[in-house]
Amino acid sequence: MNDLAARFAAQGVGSIFLYTHEAHPGEHYPHLTTMDQKFAHARALRDRLGVKRPILVDALDGACHRTYGSMPNMTWIFNRAGSPLYKSDWTDSNSVENALVYFLDVFNRRRERERLVPFRVERLDYRTSDPDGFQQGLARSGPKAVREFEEAGL
Amino acid sequence: MNQGDLLTRYNYDAFTPDNVLPWLNFANSPELGKPAPDFPLWQLAGTETSLGAVCKQNRLTVVEFGSFT
Repeated sequence: MNDLAARFAAQGVGSIFLYTHEAHPGEHYPHLTTMDQKFAHARALRDRLGVKRPILVDALDGACHRTYGSMPNMTWIFNRAGSPLYKSDWTDSNSVENALVYFLDVFNRRRERERLVPFRVERLDYRTSDPDGFQQGLARSGPKAVREFEEAGL
Repeated sequence: MNQGDLLTRYNYDAFTPDNVLPWLNFANSPELGKPAPDFPLWQLAGTETSLGAVCKQNRLTVVEFGSFT
């Protein structure tokens, strides 16, 4: 997603990472109780995982995250007016890139005076499954996070 | 649910189905193409901004939601 953000920035596409809550709290990154702690975890995300996009932090009660569906790693694309044009219940850079290319082409078509009206489409996209990487993420949080994920059976 | 309960339940301390599943509500999330709710957000330096203010800065804005864990 960092690479995608860099490649599309010159075309007027901004990208942010919105920090929510700890999906898998563990010994090293426990559940959040204060905004100071939330900022600290967000800085750790930036520094340890190399997130290069601007990171913005949601309120401690997750007001934004909850309204948009509370999925642990979803991605939305908004237009300048703040209306969502794309929403995905999981993040996949190929899917996001495909949507950006499409929407940027819509801007071009409008500039060429093509008459366009919106419609809704549903589509099933596919992301790479990375169970080893996921387990490494749980381990970063601590053994408690690893154990609870196994026990949850989700 | 009062604010204290909300903070505790949203920031659950253990990944269990009872703690996690009630929050997953993507099917009822804001509709595409309609003005969406705006919310205050904070930069890492602590400065307050908002989702709407960020969107105004770009033709399109990609927002990835997530956390360290």
